[in-house]
Amino acid sequence: MKLESLKEGFGSLWDNVAEGWRHLTQSAAGALTRFRPGEDSGLPAKGEVDDDFYLPGRGWSMLGGDVFEDEQHLVVRLELPGMEKQDINIEVLDDALVVSGEKRFQRESSEGRWRVMQCAYGSFRRAVPLPAAVKAGEARAAYRNGVLRVELPKAEPARPSAVTIPVE
Amino acid sequence: MSESNVASKAEAAHSEAALLPPVDVFEDASGITLYADLPGVPRDKLILQVESDTLTIEGEVNLDTPAGMEASHAEVSLPRYRRVFTLSKELDSEKVSAELKNGVLRLRIPKAEHAQPRRIEVRVE
Repeated sequence: MKLESLKEGFGSLWDNVAEGWRHLTQSAAGALTRFRPGEDSGLPAKGEVDDDFYLPGRGWSMLGGDVFEDEQHLVVRLELPGMEKQDINIEVLDDALVVSGEKRFQRESSEGRWRVMQCAYGSFRRAVPLPAAVKAGEARAAYRNGVLRVELPKAEPARPSAVTIPVE
Repeated sequence: MSESNVASKAEAAHSEAALLPPVDVFEDASGITLYADLPGVPRDKLILQVESDTLTIEGEVNLDTPAGMEASHAEVSLPRYRRVFTLSKELDSEKVSAELKNGVLRLRIPKAEHAQPRRIEVRVE
């Protein structure tokens, strides 16, 4: 069997890749995240995969993150496709939100071969720098459409006390 | 090609710029299963199109910037995914089934019946 079944329009592929990378290098150098597959990640062995770029021991993926803020809150949005809620760990460490977890690989029930393997699986850890101090105990998180959204109330800002200095 | 011609073409490409989602493709005797990472794309913003032998996956990310908030750090500046595949004749593009879960699209494209391995039962009377 050859990979004749699924060919990609090459011209459009190149355009999209070039355009995509240009944007990513401008905005998302920190989004490139390493995935380390473990024993229980269930990834196929090299012999079951025809993709020449596939290496069972490593994977990289772009986990795009956005941080929004207003006076009282910070909202962090992180792209985490294909996770289960219970496999996501969220921690606040000093001035960073650290999201880690395990993205599991779903095995197919039928006999076949993996022609293309580009998605990353395994354990990962991504730190998103927070621009302000937060009350970690009051954070709320939701996972929807493969996007994690964490809302963190800002710590009480130390209000600068106004001191009037008389001119003598 | 004149220079202005090139420029307008580049501009058109920019407005249509989209990220290429990573995919996994599994092939077995009865068809192909394709997985694509499309985080942030809701069901109603996902467009799957099959035109003769071309399969287009297109999705728009629902960025939902919270009202009154300011982006202090943004990595997702391109809220669109697009990837185009050419399907071979042995695939039955009319029977594509799709499922979107946790930001991952799963497409099943069965092989046309004539392309599937056939089992012929022989009965001995």
